[in-house]
Amino acid sequence: MPGADKETDLTERIEAFLADLKRGGSGTGPLRGSGEMARETTYLLRRITAQARWSSAGDLMEIIRNEGRRMTAAQPSETTVGNMVRRVLKIIREEYARSRGSSEETEQQESLHKLLTAGELSEENFRQHFVHLKANVIEAINELLTELDGTTDNIAMQALEHIHSNEVIMTVGRSRTVEAFLKDAARKRKFHVIVAECAPFCQGHEMATGLSKVGIETTVIADAAIFAVMSRVNKVIIGTQTVLANGGLRAVNGTHSVALAARHHSTPLIICAPMFKLSPQVFTTIFYPFPGSFSYCLPVLREILSKVNVHCPVFDYVPPELITLFISNIGGNAPSYIYRLMSELYHPEDHKL
Amino acid sequence: QEEKRLVEYFRTQVRQDPEVPSAVAAIRTLLEFLKRDQSETILGLRENLTQTIRRLEEADSSVAVSSGGELFLRFISLTSLEHPDLSQCKKVMVERGELFLKKISLSRSKVAKLCHTFIKDGAKILTHSSSRVVLKVLESAAADKKRFTVYVTESQPDSAGRQMADKLQNLNIPVTVVLDAAVGYIMEKVDLVIVGAEGVVESGGIINKIGTYQLAVCSKAHNKPFYVVAESFKFVRLYPLNQQDVPERFKYKADTLKAVEDLAEEHPMIDYTPPSLITLIFTDLGVLTPSAVSDELIKLYL
Repeated sequence: MPGADKETDLTERIEAFLADLKRGGSGTGPLRGSGEMARETTYLLRRITAQARWSSAGDLMEIIRNEGRRMTAAQPSETTVGNMVRRVLKIIREEYARSRGSSEETEQQESLHKLLTAGELSEENFRQHFVHLKANVIEAINELLTELDGTTDNIAMQALEHIHSNEVIMTVGRSRTVEAFLKDAARKRKFHVIVAECAPFCQGHEMATGLSKVGIETTVIADAAIFAVMSRVNKVIIGTQTVLANGGLRAVNGTHSVALAARHHSTPLIICAPMFKLSPQVFTTIFYPFPGSFSYCLPVLREILSKVNVHCPVFDYVPPELITLFISNIGGNAPSYIYRLMSELYHPEDHKL
Repeated sequence: QEEKRLVEYFRTQVRQDPEVPSAVAAIRTLLEFLKRDQSETILGLRENLTQTIRRLEEADSSVAVSSGGELFLRFISLTSLEHPDLSQCKKVMVERGELFLKKISLSRSKVAKLCHTFIKDGAKILTHSSSRVVLKVLESAAADKKRFTVYVTESQPDSAGRQMADKLQNLNIPVTVVLDAAVGYIMEKVDLVIVGAEGVVESGGIINKIGTYQLAVCSKAHNKPFYVVAESFKFVRLYPLNQQDVPERFKYKADTLKAVEDLAEEHPMIDYTPPSLITLIFTDLGVLTPSAVSDELIKLYL
């Protein structure tokens, strides 16, 4: 029966995705990079919208919320999965409101204004059925996918405004976004790049190879030399894993030290981060380490290995006061403005899936 | 004497339920006034309302009453724009007023729900003077089976900190009272600072019991997070740039303002903490950075 086949096909795909997520945590899975993760999640959510059985927006939101919860539980350190789920939930709310004919602005956020003027304690339960809701939601998700495809290009387009000739730029480790950013500027400007290698995985080496292939003068330095070299640097441009709700960052280990060194020398710190990395979480003290790779990163003598506790945190928190500018696919913004961008992307009820 | 009766009503409200925030008591009184008022026009209504608010401010000079009054005035203006006919307008206003009161009575619990996740197991918290919102936050954290210790500043001249300590002891939370002067001494032991606010100003700063500014400067110097918990009806349209900019009528108790000639001899009861020292503000509208506060105010007043 075609109906049952579709359902099993859907569940199979969801299980396959969850398995990929779990493996992806150790850096060896097929999904590399948050951009791909975001795209895969959105494809899957579109498939769920198209194939799962639902009759009203409320049902669809429940299904997506449940799947979202399972996906974030599979790999808690990948926040882009949760972000995409929240984006899709907001899309569903907007399309529902549009179908009902009410203007989207008034229904959205809690505000003092809304407290004063609301008529009744409106319990929006999304139970009404609309014929074209499915098509509208799928179209909106397609728009989201086009936006995701264009993020790196949109960010790279802004490179010429920020990088000038004969500047010395510092970057840390490897970020696909920053690589595209620098490559785009290199087409018209000549500048130097200093790459911190970012032990223990030393992804800075790959970054340096990539940049020098395009003809950019690149220097690789050890992490310990960051402060020493900082006085010669004009700008620090880095990527990040997540942008938190208060404007802070969750970035690769060592970024906080770079930020402090930059603050000490009054060097601007610019973050290139696409919008799908913006997460409604606020700083908590729990960051997830990579499992399993400890024995590779630190060459500890085998004899004392059992007597030594090796901690290898993967992520760092950078507070918003140390950051100068966020460059995203929608333009440049100050860290104090992040809360506003977040209120446009996600609905406050979806902050906790 | 109608006004005297309303001031009495306000005082009874506060006496009957000491947990109720003074802004809510003020709004309840103003709603009562609305029901009893006899004016024929909306302009007359507004004038009488402004008079009543002034009387209430003379009875209790805190920032919260002032912000509650301004909110109510704004509420009237917004409603009267939609319904120009007075009698229908009044009906809608009374309805919405009751609804508003119902919503804001839940705001303290909303704030507590947001904030208690920031208190980790084993945390040492420093707080200032006695704030019912902070009490509620600590109550929900304790109910969540978290273990933490609290330091409370004594907060002279009224020793409000000791009352806070008693209330916390009743909740079985280990608490220590410290001198106001010992804030710098204790700051290195502390993990985070949580204070309430009497008013949240447009810049994102707060107006709170005297000693809060000191606490904020100290916590900034030691790099400790400084959290403020406040309900949204405490947002007030002031923009002080320094301590002197805070209006005199908030700085001193109502009786002092009436009795004393030369205010320069009196000790102020509140101070202003600028937004640069505040990490996050927890309100019933969500977790806000100080820069988000003016956004909320603009949405309402403009």
